[in-house]
Amino acid sequence: MSRRRAIWLVARRELLERGRSRAFLLSLVLSVAIIVARVFLPSLVGGGANAQHLGIVGTPAPGLVESIESTAKIVGIGLTIGRVADQPAGEARLRDGSLDAVLLVPPDGSTPTYVVKSRGNQLLQQVVAASFTTPPQIAFRELEAADPNRDISFVFANIGVILLFISFFTFGSWVLTGVVEEKQSRVVEVVLSTIEPRDLLIGKVLGIGVLGLVQLVVMVTVGLGAGVATNRFSLPSTTASAVAMLLLWFVLGYAFYSTALGVLGALASRMEEASNASSPVSFIAMGGYFFSLIVALNDPAGTAARIATFIPPVSPMVVPLRAALGAIEPWEIVASALLMVAAIWVLFVVGGRVYSGAVLQTGARMKLRDAWRASGKS
Amino acid sequence: MLEITDLSKRYGSVVALDGATFTVRPGRLVGFLGPNGAGKTTTMRCVFGLARADRGTIAWQGRPIDRAHRLRFGYMPEQRGLYPRMKVGDQLSYFAQQHGMPAKAARAATARWLDGLGLGDRAGARLEALSHGNQQRVQLGAALVHDPELLVLDEPFSGLDPLGIDTMTGILRERAAAGVGVVFSSHQLDLVEDVCEDVVIINRGRIVAAGAIDDLRAASARRHLEVEVVGNGNAWLAGRPDLAVVEQRADFARLVVPADLDLGAALAAASAAGSVRRFAFQPPTLSEIFMEVVRS
Repeated sequence: MSRRRAIWLVARRELLERGRSRAFLLSLVLSVAIIVARVFLPSLVGGGANAQHLGIVGTPAPGLVESIESTAKIVGIGLTIGRVADQPAGEARLRDGSLDAVLLVPPDGSTPTYVVKSRGNQLLQQVVAASFTTPPQIAFRELEAADPNRDISFVFANIGVILLFISFFTFGSWVLTGVVEEKQSRVVEVVLSTIEPRDLLIGKVLGIGVLGLVQLVVMVTVGLGAGVATNRFSLPSTTASAVAMLLLWFVLGYAFYSTALGVLGALASRMEEASNASSPVSFIAMGGYFFSLIVALNDPAGTAARIATFIPPVSPMVVPLRAALGAIEPWEIVASALLMVAAIWVLFVVGGRVYSGAVLQTGARMKLRDAWRASGKS
Repeated sequence: MLEITDLSKRYGSVVALDGATFTVRPGRLVGFLGPNGAGKTTTMRCVFGLARADRGTIAWQGRPIDRAHRLRFGYMPEQRGLYPRMKVGDQLSYFAQQHGMPAKAARAATARWLDGLGLGDRAGARLEALSHGNQQRVQLGAALVHDPELLVLDEPFSGLDPLGIDTMTGILRERAAAGVGVVFSSHQLDLVEDVCEDVVIINRGRIVAAGAIDDLRAASARRHLEVEVVGNGNAWLAGRPDLAVVEQRADFARLVVPADLDLGAALAAASAAGSVRRFAFQPPTLSEIFMEVVRS
């Protein structure tokens, strides 16, 4: 029987046994819930959107301010209206965020202009517009032409990192516990009487990886679908490439993390030791996650983010984030991916040997070095 | 035929195997005996590539064994283990396929063996839902499901009740009759004597005795002699220091004697002392041979 068939059988077993398990169903439901919450959360906690500050330059027609105020009250906007000396002062206050909108009322009685920084509060705009009942009513202007994809890209980048992190952790730890279970139940002795240790690890990583990919696709589909269906956003033209990046980097990152966790799992002999054994990898993954969300998200083209792009354990979260924000060069993506593949290969060669040396050992938790040596001569 | 030649292995400063050499012929039931730590499990693990010998060879049908050979072997490790949450039927079918059976044949073989093991109605149950004894049967099933040409079982009788022992014995005999070479380790020497034709006795990594049980018994330099002389007690033994008394009560004595004892003279001496009701001359049991070779 070929090695490939042995690997396929292991992968298929993992896929069927775990795919039918309650744990997978639960993980699927939970992750979908997180995504839906993430898509809708800004609108739920968007209380800040109800407190708006409007500045008025010039002298509005009598009753206009009162009319705006009363309409705002009806639609539930907590509106503060203040006078602003002139147009430059108003624009400065829009830029620093102390005003949400400025209404310019020219002294010559020509068309007033409603100015926002970019993509202002739509409701306030309608409230103000409604107060001008006679044509030509009102003109609108944005200080900065808003990139229609900018906000949505930000959300995509943010959610993408969260999705990847959830996926690495969930399915990486399945590989970890799977390895420990086989060791603890001693079934590994039976399994390895027919197949090579390395092939068992490959099959396990592949089978569980397919489940991870399925869950990721479901999460992305639900997230995008929910957003579009509820008009939270329309899909930017970059959606397809962003999703492709997400899937590619899931595969690369998952291969890296799950292999590392599988190898460390082999060093443990009981489930209680597994989380201890895996803590170095968990620590690195957490570091990459927080780095991505705190540093890279705010400055995706900055030096720190660029360096992290070439650090394999971190790049699976940084690269798709930078790509979603359009802040990465194509060559960086290619170089980072190649580096990642190389890192996975090295990890597999080194880790595969450690795994082979450790997985048949019972008793106390093994040290990395002992497992390496054991495999050399056992 | 499985040929193990000069197998040696150390774990650090501990010598697990020290030039072990023996064979397992097709159709023979071989008991693999030895005290704890003698090297039985290490030998078996070497056969399946689970441990790598420092020296020596293991050959199957004259060729050094490789993965393809091992797929035709069945193994029951000392530390039992299967997937606890996997269904019994799926589990056996999986192992059958890992041994190279196509999916359809694997399912058919699984159904056949589950029926044969009396677990036909439990195919859909998770392993952990089964009783300990039934889990043992499934473990045996995992070693048998692919119709192996060689069975290697590490203490298959341990933990079995008398009924389980009877089932296991029946299956092993049936497999051997079908031409399968069967080697199993055990500490239950009476059982081995009952079941096996051949034994291999290992001590401190070396094979100290190997061959057909009857031959080993016959080759022993000692014999058992049981004598009962009515009325005289065991007084007739007084003048015979060459007869070692193992046990005596009233008129009965159990003796250990040289194999070349002059039986006629001994019987004459007993008859002269009184009426001989029993005079039984027998080779030592397997247990006694075991003690003999392991202690020497």
